[in-house]
Amino acid sequence: MATSAQAPMFMRVMGLPMRLALYVLASLVLMGVDARYDTLGLLRSGVASILHPVQTGLARPFHYLQDALDFFQAHGQLVRDNHRLQQTQRALMQQLHDRSLLHAENVHLRNLLGLALPPGYVGHGVEIVQAMSNPFSRKVVVDRGSLQGLSTGWPAVDDMGLVGQVTRVFPTSSEVTLITSRDQDIPVQVLRNGLRLIVSGTGLDRLLEVRFLDMHADLQPNDILVTSGLDGVYPAGLPVARVVAVEPPRHTPFARAVCAPLAGVGRHRQMLILQRQAQGAAPLPAGPAAQRVAPREQGRSP
Amino acid sequence: MSMPPSPEEGGPRMARIRARALSPRGPQLVTPASARLVYGSLVLAYLLGLLPWPEGWRWLVPDFTFLVLLYWNIHSPHRAGLGLAFVLGLLTDAARGMLFGMHALVYVAAAFVALSVRRRLENFLPPGQALQLAPLFLGKELAVLLLGLAIGQTVTDWWSLAAGPMAALLWLPTCLLLHGLGGRPPAGPAATAPDK
Repeated sequence: MATSAQAPMFMRVMGLPMRLALYVLASLVLMGVDARYDTLGLLRSGVASILHPVQTGLARPFHYLQDALDFFQAHGQLVRDNHRLQQTQRALMQQLHDRSLLHAENVHLRNLLGLALPPGYVGHGVEIVQAMSNPFSRKVVVDRGSLQGLSTGWPAVDDMGLVGQVTRVFPTSSEVTLITSRDQDIPVQVLRNGLRLIVSGTGLDRLLEVRFLDMHADLQPNDILVTSGLDGVYPAGLPVARVVAVEPPRHTPFARAVCAPLAGVGRHRQMLILQRQAQGAAPLPAGPAAQRVAPREQGRSP
Repeated sequence: MSMPPSPEEGGPRMARIRARALSPRGPQLVTPASARLVYGSLVLAYLLGLLPWPEGWRWLVPDFTFLVLLYWNIHSPHRAGLGLAFVLGLLTDAARGMLFGMHALVYVAAAFVALSVRRRLENFLPPGQALQLAPLFLGKELAVLLLGLAIGQTVTDWWSLAAGPMAALLWLPTCLLLHGLGGRPPAGPAATAPDK
């Protein structure tokens, strides 16, 4: 097999099937390593710290365009929206008031019982940069990461309730897995009677479900589910979902309840990520974002 | 249209073959695509995939990187081989937050198929190519989903399979655009083929 400079077509020694086999082997090894060990985390975070600023830059013109379209919306639409939002706001303020009253009463009772106070939380305001196109789970990328002090496991909320949980942290960005993701389970309590349940995502934006429900459980449509705080991940009392329907058991010993998430999962661009303060420490603002939301947090904590 | 008698049938055919031998046309006449065009179009396609597509339509958005990769596999195999497919697959894995290697494996396998059948595909017009590549596009989406299920993901969004046929539909505009940029005749090298 003579190879010369005049015949570059003979320079490939390895055949196509051989190279295919090598690359397939490399892919399989990579998948195995990535699934079992954490060694590729550095590579992933390196790629992510290049990709996510690019994504932010690409998304910016579309955000501007969206803002411009919003600006040119019809006056009547705005008036109607304003009216509706004011009503919602009034209802929300009422709920917030009720909640702070209940909270204060709860704190009082806890003090009476001599229990330790749950430590306070402080919020980091974040903005969603990109929703990941991953058919297996529902995740979004937000614009803050470990440089801003974020860490995995922290809950993400919006003004209506629980949205998700931080599952991966990169230097300047993080991945938040939404509660509607199929593999997310949240321990909750029924607000009306304190019944403890586990609510799971379904992969659909507007749907959560309680999968293994005792057929005699006292659960009715329009019941509100809040986090129970038993897992040590989510603070107790965050609104999670409203029960839409309770289905009687069919072919199984368990009933099933369909719920709608209360938070605007997959609808808003801004979220708040809650950081648990060290016990006994005063709620210190941790950056400009935290300062922005600090009054609200202080109003909520005793 | 009546068939000509058999001795005359060989006549035009032989003339055609002779003409083909005398005036080479098709891929030989086309200057090879420049590295800037190949890598530039791939980067653009990759960025296109990173755009903030509306959440409700994301399942319909095809894998642009894969589309352009297959185009260069078929039309410029000396620049776009299995190694490029592997690297692009890793980048796609990073962008989609999946395990490293999933897309790399699928891209490499698809590039292998494309490289194996590219000689035959070059004789077809873009619509014919799209029809023949449609199973490859669909198979790529299916392979990604099945790989995910095999790795242990419990449930998946089967609607994302629709991105495969969508990519096959986009093969035509891709061909038009890249043929134009690469200096090929817009309808492809086979446009002048006299076959019925």
